[in-house]
Amino acid sequence: MVKLEIDGQKIEVEEGTTILEASKKAHIKIPTLCYEENLSIFGGCRLCVVEIEGEDNLKPSCATMVQEGMVVQTHSPTVREVRKNLFELIIASHDIDCNLNCLTCSRSQNCDLREIAADIGVTEIRVPPLDKGYDVDESSFSIVREPNKCITCGRCIRKCEEIQGVGIFTTANRGPSTIVTTFEDKGIGNVECTNCGQCILACPTGALHEVYHYENVWDALHDKDKHVVVQTAPATRVAIAEPFGAEPGTVATGQMVAALRRLGFDKVFDTNFTADLTIMEEGTELIERINNEGTLPLFTSCSPGWIKFIEHQYPEYLDHVSSCKSPQQMFGAVAKSYYAEQHNIDKDDLVVVSIMPCTAKKFEAVRDEMKEDVDYSLTTRELSRMIKQAGIDIMNLEDEDYDQLLGVSSGAADIFGSSGGVMEAALRTAYEIITGTELDNIDFNNVRGLEGLKEGSVVINDMEIKVAVANGLGNARILLEKMKNGEEYHFIEFMACPGGCIGGGGQPLPASNEILEKRMEAIYDIDKNKKLRKSHENPMIKKIYEEYLGEPGGHKSHELLHTHYKERGI
Amino acid sequence: MSEKYFLKENMEKNVSDYDFSAFKKALKMGQNKVIKEIEDSGLKGRGGAGFPTGFKWKLASQQEADLKYFICNGDEGEPGTFKDRLLMEDSPVKVLEGIMIGAFAVGASQGYIYIRGEYAKPIKIFNKIIKEAKKEQVLGENIFGSDFSFEMKLIKGAGAYVCGDETSLINSIEGHRGISRIKPPYPIEKGLFDKPTVVNNVETLSCAAEIINQGSDTYNELGTENSRGTKLVCLSGDINEPGVYEVEFGSMTIREIIQEFGKGIKNNKELKFVIPGGISTSILSNDKIDIPYTYEDIEKAESSLGSGALIVVAKGHDLIDLMLNASRFYMDETCGTCFPCREGNRQVHHMLKKAMGKGIDHNKTELIKDIGKTIRLASRCGLGQSSLNFIGSVIDEYPNELLIGGVDNG
Ligand SMILES: Cc1cc2nc3c(=O)[nH]c(=O)nc-3n(C[C@H](O)[C@H](O)[C@H](O)COP(=O)(O)O)c2cc1C
Ligand code: SF4
Ligand code: SF4
Ligand code: SF4
Repeated sequence: MVKLEIDGQKIEVEEGTTILEASKKAHIKIPTLCYEENLSIFGGCRLCVVEIEGEDNLKPSCATMVQEGMVVQTHSPTVREVRKNLFELIIASHDIDCNLNCLTCSRSQNCDLREIAADIGVTEIRVPPLDKGYDVDESSFSIVREPNKCITCGRCIRKCEEIQGVGIFTTANRGPSTIVTTFEDKGIGNVECTNCGQCILACPTGALHEVYHYENVWDALHDKDKHVVVQTAPATRVAIAEPFGAEPGTVATGQMVAALRRLGFDKVFDTNFTADLTIMEEGTELIERINNEGTLPLFTSCSPGWIKFIEHQYPEYLDHVSSCKSPQQMFGAVAKSYYAEQHNIDKDDLVVVSIMPCTAKKFEAVRDEMKEDVDYSLTTRELSRMIKQAGIDIMNLEDEDYDQLLGVSSGAADIFGSSGGVMEAALRTAYEIITGTELDNIDFNNVRGLEGLKEGSVVINDMEIKVAVANGLGNARILLEKMKNGEEYHFIEFMACPGGCIGGGGQPLPASNEILEKRMEAIYDIDKNKKLRKSHENPMIKKIYEEYLGEPGGHKSHELLHTHYKERGI
Repeated sequence: MSEKYFLKENMEKNVSDYDFSAFKKALKMGQNKVIKEIEDSGLKGRGGAGFPTGFKWKLASQQEADLKYFICNGDEGEPGTFKDRLLMEDSPVKVLEGIMIGAFAVGASQGYIYIRGEYAKPIKIFNKIIKEAKKEQVLGENIFGSDFSFEMKLIKGAGAYVCGDETSLINSIEGHRGISRIKPPYPIEKGLFDKPTVVNNVETLSCAAEIINQGSDTYNELGTENSRGTKLVCLSGDINEPGVYEVEFGSMTIREIIQEFGKGIKNNKELKFVIPGGISTSILSNDKIDIPYTYEDIEKAESSLGSGALIVVAKGHDLIDLMLNASRFYMDETCGTCFPCREGNRQVHHMLKKAMGKGIDHNKTELIKDIGKTIRLASRCGLGQSSLNFIGSVIDEYPNELLIGGVDNG
């Protein structure tokens, strides 16, 4: 342990603690911009500098370790003056001019810069804004980058490289032309970006955001000839309340349904329904592969960021990937066939919108293999914008229920929103279908939690099924490399985003580890409190097979619910 | 008064004509004695920071590692500095010897000399020297029958000033972007490829070789208590005879150096100020240069001897233009990593550009000084920390001239 003094308080912390961490423990908030809890230390923004007795220069608290007897001042007059000046410089580099573009920024609701400005007490900006004159990168279906707003903090670079193991961003040039860009300035859409949107979560400014589609959705809603249905992904219901000031972890399923109705959607359905359907199809595929010595391990296919990752990085493993479409796409396919037929709706007049925690879903929706299924995929953040635009006081609405029949789901579908959930849902069903007996305990705790890599095994009819779960693409890479080195599994769940969909790139900001944990708890609570907790017991799932699809894995299913992938280079 | 030859002695250009007596002596003395000798000499690094060389070597020798690196810094990017070039061109073998002595002292088995890309001649010379040294088995296994083995490579810099900074230089050798690293860890603990690494300046190493050769006692007779030995001074600017002159510390004042060696100001103009250590140091106006040329006296005058670039500025220049020049250099040369340096230098440059021909008012000079303070206190590496020294000191010294356009009538 190391004893030191911070702002007059004597504290004791472990060796190897940074001054920033130690200050947090002493309940002192030091502003930071380039720092992020899960990333390596960059030491570029210098906002976190502090005064250390005996040192001439100020030191970055994020990168300076505590030492015995250190006397630190985190908010001395010099520190405050330097921070203020520094902040003026940062603001000048951030493309703010008198056009009030703060108001139109993607981060107008939750801007890190504004929060820091308030903390520092910035009163004037004496340096003029600089027009950097870069073009907006609109090459991607999912992500937009506005380089003029970029302050070169490098968080996106580190997130993409260190957490996602993708690494499409880089710093180029030096001096005043230092910029963050993609390889050869090709644009995000033309490199191996997986569209996961983790970089958006990392960005402290509005320089990165999703491609917005909510205006298109408004148009559809206002078009009297269109029948507009909406589906909501599992992870949206535990996050949608956050932009409205609710505590992270607040479950707002019924209020979200009510808000969607008020927005004017003709039917409010649930992606959870097709999550249950996915389990039926993917479970069947797993059983078939095991029984017929098919390619194993089977990889899940619900996460489109993961799919694009493997298409670029590990195409040699593509035949491991389940042919099941993701729940979003299954929903679109079922809505445009079964639902449209049942209700005599002309397919051309039916608009399917999805609310997703995800930016990669936008890309998935326009993939050649299945671009008819879903018309617009919105992020949770975009939905919160629409709700605000419509003046709906969501947190005070009465709960409402999803519409029948594509709105009924089991708890197994809810946990799709969390890392390990698809695995757990699949095991619940596969076990009972194969053995014909009921599980004593349906909670598979060893695949739960925020940990990046989880493994476990289940014995089903004397056969030990080895399973693994990876969340975050960096962990996916680790697991694939393990496989390359001979590690064997039967079934692996891959999710592109850390924590699974609850930590998706389309979820509300901020998205700290602590917040992810609360969302995760909420998801498992929903499951626990449901009577229906297994996909194969969902009566509406049974019904749709009876009425329309036939058998899981059957002909009709294959036509509607399955797809294929393609190799993409690096 | 004349130059004091210490470094400029024994200038040799061919490996085969050189007997490497200092290095052989070092082999006989053993690591500890060599380090002790350098410590006793009080030699300070000539790369600009003035860190005691013997102490650096001692720390490095105490590092436990299977591999250590020794790097000679020949990037010489500070405007107005050209003394390493002279050494690399005219006495390259002694530079090599210095590297070998240092490497032996700290226990490094691999070495690099990193030479500024624009220095075509020194690069050519060192390519040849390294080849010759290998052929003559001055580099390689068991040099001169000892159990010391040492290999060396030459690296050509890509022309970024920041790559003269030791951590940036290490990044650059590793093939990364030339940006500074966060310290600690210092290169001595974790440098090139994460191994203990010593970086020393060309002149420092030449001095070390000569100190071993002549003994620290001889060296100690030269200079003052805190500034031992001699210094290569790069005299440039508005003087009649620019050049590299070897000056015994404390033996002459700055004005004497300018008059004796530089032969006075060009076109018989009056001296306005000098920049005593390259453009990352603060100016000394005409009334402040009657001080002995030593680290301590220049520091007392609130500037620094830096790398030894003494730039003389006569009356009649447009001060804003001079500041703008310096500012453009820093704006272009920041590695772009840390915000104060990148954004601060960019803003200062914009302000100065707008002020050209018009003058610069008090509000703006105050703002520049605020930015200067921020950059100095909060930047990540020495480039940023010292980038506004020159500009800030001009503002302090000549506020009224700047107000009216920055041109005096001298
Ligand atoms: C921006 C910057 C540029 C530098 N350029 C050089 C250089 O060109 N040559 C040099 O020897 N040291 C340079 N240095 C200093 C080195 O970081 C390092 O301190 C020096 O090479 C150590 O050698 P010494 O102890 O022998 O002086 C520079 C430092 C900074 C911050
Ligand atoms: S969307 Fe994901 S893969 Fe693409 S740049 Fe951002 S973090 Fe990297
Ligand atoms: S895009 Fe955002 S996260 Fe990336 S460097 Fe710029 S400001 Fe930082
Ligand atoms: S001070 Fe300047 S050169 Fe040094 S790290 Fe910061 S931006 Fe780069």
